[in-house]
Amino acid sequence: MIGISRYAPYVPRPRLPRSEISRAWGGRAGKGAVAVANYDEDALTMAVEAALGCGVGRVYGGVHFASTSSPYLEKQCASVVATACDLPRELFSADFGGSTRCGVSALLAALRAVQAGAATDVLVTAADVRLASPDSELEGVLGDAAAALVVSDGDDVIAELVDAVSIAEEFTYHWRTDRQQSVQVAGGRFSNLHGYARDLAPAIGAVLQRQGLEPAAIAKLALYSPDTRAAADLAKSLGFASEQLVPSLAPEIGCTGSAEALLLLARALDTAAAGDLILVGGFGEGADVILFRVTAAIDGGRAEVPVQSWIDAGEPLESYEKYLKYRRLVEVDEPTDVVTNVLESKELTQNVRLHGSRCRECGQVQYPVARVCIACEKRECLDDVPIARAGTVFTFTVDHLIANLEHPLPMAVVDADGGGRLYLQVADADTIDIGARVALTYRRLHEGAGNRNYYWKAKPIRA
Amino acid sequence: MSMKNQIAVIGVGCTKFGDLFDQGYEDLICDAAFQAYDDAGIDPAEIEAGYLGTYMPGPSGGKASVSLGDALRLYDRPITRVENYCATGTDAFRNGCMAIASGTYDVVLVLGAEKLKDRGGRGLPRFGHPLLAKGNSAPGLFALAANRYMHTFGVGRETLAKVAVKNHYNGARNPKAHLRSEVTEEKVLAAPMISSPFGLFDCCPTTDGAAAAILCRADLAAKYTDAPIWVKGVGLSVTSGRPYYDPTFDYLGFRSTSNASKQAYDMAGIAASDIDFAEVHDCFTWTEVSNIEDLGFCAKGEAPGWIAEGRTSLSGDLPINPSGGLKSFGHPIGASGVRMIYETTEQLRGNCGERQIADAHLGLAHNVGGPGAVSCVIVLGNEK
Repeated sequence: MIGISRYAPYVPRPRLPRSEISRAWGGRAGKGAVAVANYDEDALTMAVEAALGCGVGRVYGGVHFASTSSPYLEKQCASVVATACDLPRELFSADFGGSTRCGVSALLAALRAVQAGAATDVLVTAADVRLASPDSELEGVLGDAAAALVVSDGDDVIAELVDAVSIAEEFTYHWRTDRQQSVQVAGGRFSNLHGYARDLAPAIGAVLQRQGLEPAAIAKLALYSPDTRAAADLAKSLGFASEQLVPSLAPEIGCTGSAEALLLLARALDTAAAGDLILVGGFGEGADVILFRVTAAIDGGRAEVPVQSWIDAGEPLESYEKYLKYRRLVEVDEPTDVVTNVLESKELTQNVRLHGSRCRECGQVQYPVARVCIACEKRECLDDVPIARAGTVFTFTVDHLIANLEHPLPMAVVDADGGGRLYLQVADADTIDIGARVALTYRRLHEGAGNRNYYWKAKPIRA
Repeated sequence: MSMKNQIAVIGVGCTKFGDLFDQGYEDLICDAAFQAYDDAGIDPAEIEAGYLGTYMPGPSGGKASVSLGDALRLYDRPITRVENYCATGTDAFRNGCMAIASGTYDVVLVLGAEKLKDRGGRGLPRFGHPLLAKGNSAPGLFALAANRYMHTFGVGRETLAKVAVKNHYNGARNPKAHLRSEVTEEKVLAAPMISSPFGLFDCCPTTDGAAAAILCRADLAAKYTDAPIWVKGVGLSVTSGRPYYDPTFDYLGFRSTSNASKQAYDMAGIAASDIDFAEVHDCFTWTEVSNIEDLGFCAKGEAPGWIAEGRTSLSGDLPINPSGGLKSFGHPIGASGVRMIYETTEQLRGNCGERQIADAHLGLAHNVGGPGAVSCVIVLGNEK
């Protein structure tokens, strides 16, 4: 059986309330908020976060990274996700981009690869941190989020692939040239009818027709929506009832680009029953529509943290100005340091895969990698060992002086589960305490020599 | 080999410590060295070797020893730069002692100098591995230990504040100190946070300064002075420079200090209880709390009680940092340890006026850096 075996949504913690945007620029105060990547997050780190949510220590047969806002225009991120997830080197990895359809396209490509028998357990990640020009119509619309899914061939599949149809045709809706940092849009009713509906409607129609299904047979529609109402209008025009549409995430976290259709799929899977048919639709210079049937394995394969919990975990930013700082839309004092590719390469296993050493003589697990045991001082008796990506705070400080974009910055000494002690910045929190449980999260640390440097941080595991 | 009573301190000097914006690195070296020359009544030509303790050499001096030679025109003889984190000054002194004890030289100049204010607001540059060290701050590193200690022993910030109040009180009575104002416990507790649990007054300042000591073979001391100060014991010990990655570290104190002090006490043939006063490394208030225990003056967890009872004040039974300490005298990294030798010598000579400790015969100087990575302890006495 071919389909999705696991999935994990990820929504960054900060929220920019729409009322803060109108406080900054005037105009009518909007309701709700958009999710905003923290100052140390980007599409790459959010993809890693979602990937780790699919389970730490799993081995995959491929990694896809889909984003229209990759932190790198040149440099693959899928392989970074693979390395951060400590996957074996022999692996197909690819970045998908172009339009917001790329999340669904990456999923479909994985399904096709597994169908072809070329791979199994392909990790698909999608993440976007799309910039809107300040005081533009897209500000307060675009939100940041990520999702990860695993495509497998086996009994653990929770949503089986039934059918898929793709359309490819030029239509200019959203775009961003190689010289623009903010998303441009030619939206409105024309674009929804003559672009979005023109491409998605026939793709949905083709799947239904091929499967001999009426709209009423579909339990949930997980449709990307270029604005807050396009998906609802399309569903209605195709004869779907409004309850069939997975409720939009736009009011609470915004339109989340390449992650959106996958997050809506995740939201459907959070409550789906065996036998449910779920139709996923992505759009952007064409459309991809995939039909899944939920299997009896669903109860064992639901996300550990469902979409609603991610939505509920939001924390409003204290001001619109914080948002400008987080997205570097104002000049910021970025912490700087240089990681040469020599150092990066030499210490890749230690710094990105997060491996340490275990002493064969006394059993002490230690980090960073050592040649002489820190406990028994015997030499050349240390084996490579992966360090767990969770642990307990042994001690901490909340540092107001440290070079960082945000202050104060909690710093923690963390005893990793299973051994090894780490010294980490704390993410997504203003403070921390001795004994607190933390999970490791891959974040931006600083920049130097024209490049971004990433490393692990600790984030509180919140009940 | 014990160096006890083999080496005499015959001259010391120390600049005013502070924001010395109108002086250069070499000015500070000259001021400290000239005082020491005069104090010893020595012709610089008699100095056979020099040890420069400096964390960041002067702008013209690169990383070598040449800053000392150039400032003093002390050429055509060996000079060595010593750098060992915050234990730089005392380690330079220790190296000077060893040079004489080895029989290689008879007269040695030890000089510690630092011009932190030339480096911009925060003085210390960031250093270390770009990913593993993470741009940590000095207060942030010591705070990790303070929080664990305070959590374990149920100690509050009031204990730390009492250290600041005492050291400011002592520093106010020291004309060469950087910070010469008394503070109240309330003021200390209300100050802005730097790195929890340390507020502004829990931290030593960033300071410019230099200090010098001239040492000679014991049997030559009478040529220079009637009141030589004798080196009784020295010790230095290291632990991990990345204590935050050491899974065996309990974070309750620094074993480098315990080890260094044991070496020094053993060499001197004394116990910790024989020490009459100590200049200890109070880079942060909590560090002094831990030092009192790590140096063996009391058991782990007992220092807060000692501090509350006033036993470490000028009039207590074990005055700690009668000079005002790093907290008040200031902390020009490489100069601090030599400044402690200066202060300890002056106390043992009875030259400390208002802050003089009565009947003092054995004094201790202690640096710890890293945090806890390296400690150096020197015991001096005024009786052979």
